[in-house]
Amino acid sequence: MSIRRIEEGGNLTEEWIVETQDLVKKYGEHVALDGVTIAIPPGATGLLGPNGAGKSTLLKTVLGLISLTSGGGRVLGHDIATEGNLIRARIGYMPEYDCLMPDMEAIHQVRYAGELLGMHPAAALQRAHETMEYVGLRDQRYRTVGTFSTGMEQATKLACSLVHDPDLLICDEPTNGLDSTARGFMLDTLFQVVKQGGRSILMSSHLMDDVERICDRIVMIHKGQVIAQGRIEDLKGIDREIEISVWGGASRLEQKLKDDGHEVRRTGRVMRINRRDESTYTDILAAAATTEVQVRRMEDYEPSLEDLFIVIMARLGYEVKSSTDLLGTTPQMDIAAIEGRKVA
Amino acid sequence: MSEKDPFGLDDLLDKTTPPPDAEFMGEAGLQVTGQARMEAAYGSGDGDEDGHAVVAKTGQVEAGTIFHQIYRPWRGKLNPRWVRNWSILRHHIYGLFSKGHRPWPPYTKLLIVIVLMGALMPIFTMFLGTLSGSPELMRIFGVTRANLWGHVLGSFNNICCWPLITALVVGGMISEDRQHGTSAIYFSRPVTRTDYTLMKYISASLILSMIIIVSYCAYYAAAILLNNEGWAYLLDTFPFFLGGLIAAVMLVMTYTSIGLALSSISKGKFFPAVSFMGIIFGSQIIAFLISLLFQRDVLYLLSPYDNLAHVGQWMMELNTTYDFPVAWSFIALLLMNGISLYILISRVNSLEVTRE
Repeated sequence: MSIRRIEEGGNLTEEWIVETQDLVKKYGEHVALDGVTIAIPPGATGLLGPNGAGKSTLLKTVLGLISLTSGGGRVLGHDIATEGNLIRARIGYMPEYDCLMPDMEAIHQVRYAGELLGMHPAAALQRAHETMEYVGLRDQRYRTVGTFSTGMEQATKLACSLVHDPDLLICDEPTNGLDSTARGFMLDTLFQVVKQGGRSILMSSHLMDDVERICDRIVMIHKGQVIAQGRIEDLKGIDREIEISVWGGASRLEQKLKDDGHEVRRTGRVMRINRRDESTYTDILAAAATTEVQVRRMEDYEPSLEDLFIVIMARLGYEVKSSTDLLGTTPQMDIAAIEGRKVA
Repeated sequence: MSEKDPFGLDDLLDKTTPPPDAEFMGEAGLQVTGQARMEAAYGSGDGDEDGHAVVAKTGQVEAGTIFHQIYRPWRGKLNPRWVRNWSILRHHIYGLFSKGHRPWPPYTKLLIVIVLMGALMPIFTMFLGTLSGSPELMRIFGVTRANLWGHVLGSFNNICCWPLITALVVGGMISEDRQHGTSAIYFSRPVTRTDYTLMKYISASLILSMIIIVSYCAYYAAAILLNNEGWAYLLDTFPFFLGGLIAAVMLVMTYTSIGLALSSISKGKFFPAVSFMGIIFGSQIIAFLISLLFQRDVLYLLSPYDNLAHVGQWMMELNTTYDFPVAWSFIALLLMNGISLYILISRVNSLEVTRE
């Protein structure tokens, strides 16, 4: 695998920016990462998973900060086991939690973040001005961080991570605690970093909408294992559904479709039937005719990332109504349920 | 043109009503025209009437500033490890003197100045003695073994000055990184934990050295210069000056080690500062009470200050005031430093990047 930066455009052109093979990390008895094999190409990738799934451990692994029990990998062409310093010099990391000195002026905070990477102080200060302007804090850059709102703090953290123009930006919950305006601005900014700046983003978030807005790929991990990875559009294609609205006898139709071997999800008069092939449409109409049920609307359903998440979790044997059931809190689940079941 | 407006500015300024949501317009109903600034700039000039029209027009802002978000790449080069380490050192040291670096609290800076002034007081006194020709002042404050030892290890300095300064300087050095999560800023960059610990240690000990060791050396140098001493004096006094210097270095290292170890196990600077003074004063007081009650000096081995004082007395060939061998004190100091450094290193290793 070769990684290089094109001088003219500043864009990465290699196959994978992150590539790992059978990563295993154990903390005593607890297995944080259990055979994680991922391949992330340049662009924006979302990292999803419940609390305790191993996201933080994976991020620390990508940053080259922890020694692995077994397995290995490369980030931006550098070995994660031996070249952590080289990796971190090319990565911008935006932590989820507070990481700013409240009594320090924002501009100097960003400058110091640059100096810690080895930037010359004058260059770091100049670049700090640029990045503060980029994240929308040009007029507030000489205020102390302690006087900032949550949105401004998040923006300052983003400026700290962008100060050296990293090849890969790792954002841990970048919209945490932001109101809708600040959230929109943060997402637009991240989107620009990818589209305009040609940089890559690995973004961990609980909010499916955020991930879907920025990322074209996801890596979903659960209990230390990768349960899904790839392009969101491709993954959505795994379970394409047909949505119908019916009138009268919905239960009869549901039962008939299930008897015919179709997977059906129903909420009141609306049903979603898993599309096996083209014949599914005629099957539905035939079943409706048999059960004497009116089908008033029938269309292909375009699933969201939220739906994708629910489907994947359902395949693993969990009853979840929305992603917040799992992502918001630590789930109490049966470990045996996911053994041997990988969706990839 | 009217008398009130000799330059005809009223005609040039736009009188349109400002938008109600424009922040810079200030109170509702007040129009910000820039007139006062223009008059200040041109009203007292020497008659150049042509320049004002352009200024008046450019002063009008009606729609705010348009924000263009453009990602600009950076083509610079990242410097090697020593530059990163230097930036950590600079951040802490320069923070004492200028803005834009580590924000030291004002009372810490003030106390550093007061203690430094106090430590330099014997120099002023010797200077007075030289000016007045009073041998008494020079005899009391001049360079002797006891005075050199007292400058570093005397009771007054070790009760009122050095522990207080150490507590304030070292207290928040690592604990505030843990408290504010700033450790993530360090460790998500190519800064190793060894470099981080080392630079924090050097930063703290340099600040303490600026007060303790620099004032000690200045005191000795001032005595030579003010008394116009020659080589013979230098040869006589240099060995015990050197002994005192080594004792001062040991004091700085020991206090920094203990202080940083306490800082590394805490969040915030209060606990490490208070517990540092508790260790220094508490061990001293307990050992003193035991010594008074049971005539046993051995508990002084638990007191960092007394161990330093004992080793210092030995190095400067003064009569020791402790009834156990100096080797015990030396070993006790080594153990204290070793344990402190072990705690420091292991706790720095536990500083998290992702969450604390």
